[in-house]
Amino acid sequence: MNYIFKRLGFYLIAFVAAVTINFFIPRLMPGDPVQMYMAKLYQTSGKIDAETIAAVEKLFGFSKTKPIIESYFEYVGSIFQGNWGFSFSQYPLTVIQALTRGLSWTVFLMGTSLIISFLINNLLGIVAAWRRGSKLDSFLTVGGQLMANIPAVVLALLISYTFARSEKFGIFPAGYAVTPLFRPANVLQYIGDVAYHAFLPVTCIVMLQLNGIMGMRANMINQLGEDFIAMGRAKGVPEYKLMISYGARNALLPVATTLAMQIGFMLGGSLIIEVVFNYPGLGKVMIGALDSRDYPLMQGILLMSTILMLSANFIADMMLLILDPRLRKQGR
Amino acid sequence: MTLKKLDNHPLFKFLRDNPKATVGFILIFTIMLLTLGAPMFTRFEAGFRSDQYRVAPNSVFILGTTQLGRDVWAQTLYGGRTSLLVGILAGVIAVTLSTVIGITAGYFGGIVDGIITMVINIAMVIPQIPLLLIIAALMGGVSPMLIGVLIGFTSWAWGARVLRSQTMSIRNREFIYSAETLGETKLRRLFAEVMPNMLSMMSSAFVGTIIYAIMAQATLEYIGFGDPLSVTWGTMLYNAQNTAALQTGAWWELLGPCLGLIVLGSGLTLINFSIDELSNPKLKAQRIMAGYYKAKKAEITYTKAGETE
Repeated sequence: MNYIFKRLGFYLIAFVAAVTINFFIPRLMPGDPVQMYMAKLYQTSGKIDAETIAAVEKLFGFSKTKPIIESYFEYVGSIFQGNWGFSFSQYPLTVIQALTRGLSWTVFLMGTSLIISFLINNLLGIVAAWRRGSKLDSFLTVGGQLMANIPAVVLALLISYTFARSEKFGIFPAGYAVTPLFRPANVLQYIGDVAYHAFLPVTCIVMLQLNGIMGMRANMINQLGEDFIAMGRAKGVPEYKLMISYGARNALLPVATTLAMQIGFMLGGSLIIEVVFNYPGLGKVMIGALDSRDYPLMQGILLMSTILMLSANFIADMMLLILDPRLRKQGR
Repeated sequence: MTLKKLDNHPLFKFLRDNPKATVGFILIFTIMLLTLGAPMFTRFEAGFRSDQYRVAPNSVFILGTTQLGRDVWAQTLYGGRTSLLVGILAGVIAVTLSTVIGITAGYFGGIVDGIITMVINIAMVIPQIPLLLIIAALMGGVSPMLIGVLIGFTSWAWGARVLRSQTMSIRNREFIYSAETLGETKLRRLFAEVMPNMLSMMSSAFVGTIIYAIMAQATLEYIGFGDPLSVTWGTMLYNAQNTAALQTGAWWELLGPCLGLIVLGSGLTLINFSIDELSNPKLKAQRIMAGYYKAKKAEITYTKAGETE
């Protein structure tokens, strides 16, 4: 329990840090952001009334009369109350409403890819460590690393061109999460349609995560050098058991802790992949916000993706708790 | 005779022992040669506009032309310069930051370490792409160099974390104690005693950041944050996307920047591999042992892979 509270405390601090960044970035920019907003807003909508000006000032917490500290706390307070302001481009919608439209698809995409890539990476990492020095090993590690270092944009564009748009192999849809105007007869049909649309984006994200093989392999090799492996072998424990429940279980611990970094890259990559595949997730919302210079929505995306990161990290922490009995003991 | 001498030269020996490094260096060298010596390989300027719009690759336009009649091959070559420069710039900034921050945290420990570790952990959970987007959006049009600076200042966290733990393990070695006893100043101990032991890690972090920076730059520009007038691989992708190159089947517009990014990324990755191998004796020994087993395997056939050690 102690461990969980410690992690939750850290997440709270990290979230406040993200809010703080959101508050101070517009102030650090040269010029008056309210004026800049106004100019941009004027360009796009062509009309500004006193209400809008007041709303923008409130949004930034800019006020001539209040000290900066006070307006900072007001801003943090309103964020925690779920008041993230209004979206410029989709006006009657609040930022949170505009975000939740895309959020579920992004969570779906990332969750699916996270599970698939976790399984693939760790299995291949175990195999590579078990056969270390072999051709298979160098193929997996070097190949995985090379694949992961292809920019997400490039991989997504190439895959989308080849498998969604070209005439020969273009068997997958080039956009959307479900077929538009599609009326599924039953749940299975709907799931099938969603899977069909998600296949290419998920494949891209999983391919970009293949560098995880390296990490698992290194941990596994460290574990295989331990005495208890030699002991197990001397005892006559079957090889597959030695590999899975002796080596791999221990090797998974450091992997779970570095998951934070992995998820960060994954989020950045998946936002871009959504854009390329025209997938209606947060990435698509982000592009919309960008095109219309919808600053409140952009700030909302930063906060929302921080929350996504923190929740994913929390899941990783819980996994660590299951895998490592030592952490559970600490709490008692 | 001279050939044999050349053959024994340490550089060649190194390259022969490290096939990954050799391939990596060849790839990077090719990119460097093509981009830095761009005028030698194309007769067009980066901004050249022909009167032929979106033609497929032919003998005049090696990689075809874009919607606006620009030569893709020339743009790829000149654009690569910017991508390389931005990557190196971001790499230098990020590695400098992560070295200073990581070493300080690892060496001083205690409350300093506590605070810095907290900052590092926070920096790692705040997603970088949305953060970069907000900064870039508020700044308006962003030049490639500014993108490099921004990436440098937002991607130091991972390196700092690695260098911090490395410093902590070096900190308790005897030569540090003897330097303390000799009365060396703190700064000297940090930068003359601790830092040289981490050069390999720093260079690996440097190469890693360059890869990341080049990827991030292409990403930011692809979604429309760069200066659309500058010629880089990212803006080329952006322009291709905007003029519906994919929908009209103009694959050659994507080919140049995509290939460039892939080759550059792969080359740097391979170099990073060999840096790791050089700095980590365990990995090196492993490779030598692998060669040994291979030789042995020719004589005896093993039944199980697990029994080879």
